[in-house]
Amino acid sequence: MAARRRLARVPWGLLVAVAALFVPAIGSRFYTFVATDIAIMALFAVSLNLLLGYGGLVSFGHAAYFGIGAYACGILMKVHAVPFSVALPAAGLLAAVFAALFGFFCVRLTKIYFAMLTLAFAQIVWAVSFKWNSVTGGEQGMSDVPYPDLSGLAWVPGLAGYRTSDHFYVLTVGLVAACLWILRRVVRSPFGRLLTTIRENPERTEFIGVDVRRHELLAFIIAGLFAGIAGGLFGIFNRGVFPDFAYWPKSSDVLIMTILGGMGSFYGPAIGALILIILNQEITSYTEYWPFVLGILLITLLFLFPGGVVGALGGLVRRLERMRRA
Amino acid sequence: MLRRSLLVTLTAALALLLPSYARGEKIKVGFPIILSGGGALFGEPAMKGAQMYVEEINAAGGVLGRPIELIVRDTKGNADEAVRVARELILKDNVDFLVGTVTSAEGPAVSVVAKENKIVFIAPIPKTDQLTAPEKLHPYVFRVAANTTVEGRSAAEVVAKWNVKQIATIGPDYAYGQDVTRAFVSWIKKLKPGVEIVDQEWPKLGEADYTPFINAMMGKKPDAVFSCLWGGFFVTFAKQAKPLGLFEAVKLNVIAVGEAGSPETAKTMGSDYPFGIWGNSYDAFYWHPSPAHRDYAERLSKYLKDPYPSSWAIQGYTGMQFLVEAIKKAGSTDSEKVAKALLGLTIDTPIGRQTLREKDHQADRGQLYGKMTLDPAIGFAVMKPPTYIDPSRFMD
Repeated sequence: MAARRRLARVPWGLLVAVAALFVPAIGSRFYTFVATDIAIMALFAVSLNLLLGYGGLVSFGHAAYFGIGAYACGILMKVHAVPFSVALPAAGLLAAVFAALFGFFCVRLTKIYFAMLTLAFAQIVWAVSFKWNSVTGGEQGMSDVPYPDLSGLAWVPGLAGYRTSDHFYVLTVGLVAACLWILRRVVRSPFGRLLTTIRENPERTEFIGVDVRRHELLAFIIAGLFAGIAGGLFGIFNRGVFPDFAYWPKSSDVLIMTILGGMGSFYGPAIGALILIILNQEITSYTEYWPFVLGILLITLLFLFPGGVVGALGGLVRRLERMRRA
Repeated sequence: MLRRSLLVTLTAALALLLPSYARGEKIKVGFPIILSGGGALFGEPAMKGAQMYVEEINAAGGVLGRPIELIVRDTKGNADEAVRVARELILKDNVDFLVGTVTSAEGPAVSVVAKENKIVFIAPIPKTDQLTAPEKLHPYVFRVAANTTVEGRSAAEVVAKWNVKQIATIGPDYAYGQDVTRAFVSWIKKLKPGVEIVDQEWPKLGEADYTPFINAMMGKKPDAVFSCLWGGFFVTFAKQAKPLGLFEAVKLNVIAVGEAGSPETAKTMGSDYPFGIWGNSYDAFYWHPSPAHRDYAERLSKYLKDPYPSSWAIQGYTGMQFLVEAIKKAGSTDSEKVAKALLGLTIDTPIGRQTLREKDHQADRGQLYGKMTLDPAIGFAVMKPPTYIDPSRFMD
């Protein structure tokens, strides 16, 4: 027990974030590329987990806010030449506004009806981005979203030798770390505790005078906000925004990351993002049957480790302790 | 149980730490293409065509004395997956060149990656004009496919010879359908100012029920129809239009682009094909313009073990052929030099002489057009006769 407490006191999140800053120093552009992908998807997955793990709300349409954020940031930066420092927060805000609008209806439903409605709204977002040729570029999307101007970063010691994509990576890690820190504050706040209470028993929470719907809606908006920021970053990283960003497979991808990593812990979904991206990367270079591998992985996971990878590791630590005490 | 979860994590971590670094003697060509889902119908044969060419070149000693290695990756038909795969090919597999992509979303998306990494990218299938439009053009992108302007105008050239006045169009409601239809309409009006477009139908991409569109169209009493429903969508459309009597109503004055005249589509439909209409195709095994093409068709037939080999293979084949000829001409695998060598390069392909135009990096690629007639010997429709429409006079 003592060992666990000592382990828990280490600021793991901060350590990982600082360590992540040194990835470009290894010198391989490929590592930086993969690490950027992981950092962004980690934020996306953790934002979903606010609903899934903390609020007990299964959203099948989280990609909608990711897509809205990506389009907002991409259009602002590419078409209107708005600087990144304005475009990214605007992307997050717009995603939050849409989350408020859609969430207003979604939280009126529960369980599978809630899930279906989130999916329905996401499909609407996808259909609009697919059809609205003059704004979103339609099916062809919007390629060549510019990198933010990060020449300022070159002044930071140690960063001078980095490439544009490395600078963007450093920025991404910083932003993702900040967003995760905020999200962690949110789940540990009284609001976060209430959210967990609602998950455990919505009726009883209602009886003690808590406005369940309002709390759920607020969680929905916060999750949408951070998904929008992740989307904005991803559009730049991906060098273009496409309707696929809001399509349902994206929603299921992030759902899988969250479940794979473990929705019972704050960083679980981030670990899930890490594992899923690396596995996808490696397996698709050998076979085109990635969905088959993923299916087997999920079945194994759901039956053997319902707590995800982090849940399983936690179990391992507990067992080791018991062995040591015995 | 617990050990296994550790194993997964460890394998994942190890997998990241052990990428292949070795940059051997081989010339590596990344080939991102759709290999799953509906688009695989075009992606797979294009990839096979490229593979056949590579095997032939390697058997003959390679290029600059070095063998070529084709690294194929599935793009799943998603633009963002295509971008991911293309960057992975460049950053992890260290490919020297990229050839590939199918859809009009994938092509321009991968073009951005090619530009940023200064890697030559040859697109064998995407048709969107945007790929090589002036504002998107950069030194490293090239296309050996026909573009939407060429396809629409070629169809107009055919229809201009018909004795028709009132034309209806039908096409999927997204970039490709709109662009081809626009190119057709503006060109036919230029060629035959008396022509009137009486109706335009825009079913959504992937529509399964064309009946309301067909009825609306027939209500306008056109005497000719232009369709750019491609692949399986044309099959569905034609099967639904037949019992409604659309083809008789316009006296078979129908031109179906989007490769509706390809041997693959004709074979799929068999005797259900609306014989008598006009279709187009990139290639046809029964087309014999030269001994070189006859030889190519025979080699392909053997390679694919198919008596009626695919018409899409030629796109992968000519894409790779252009690349290899440019490497030879440049005497180097440096992308910058190869890109320069590709400008204005003319080569002899199985379908005849092709040139990559210097001004817009676009090959003067036309397509085959012909009246679809049942060939009793093989049991499906063929273009009779298949006529190659050379676009060089109306590309600009």
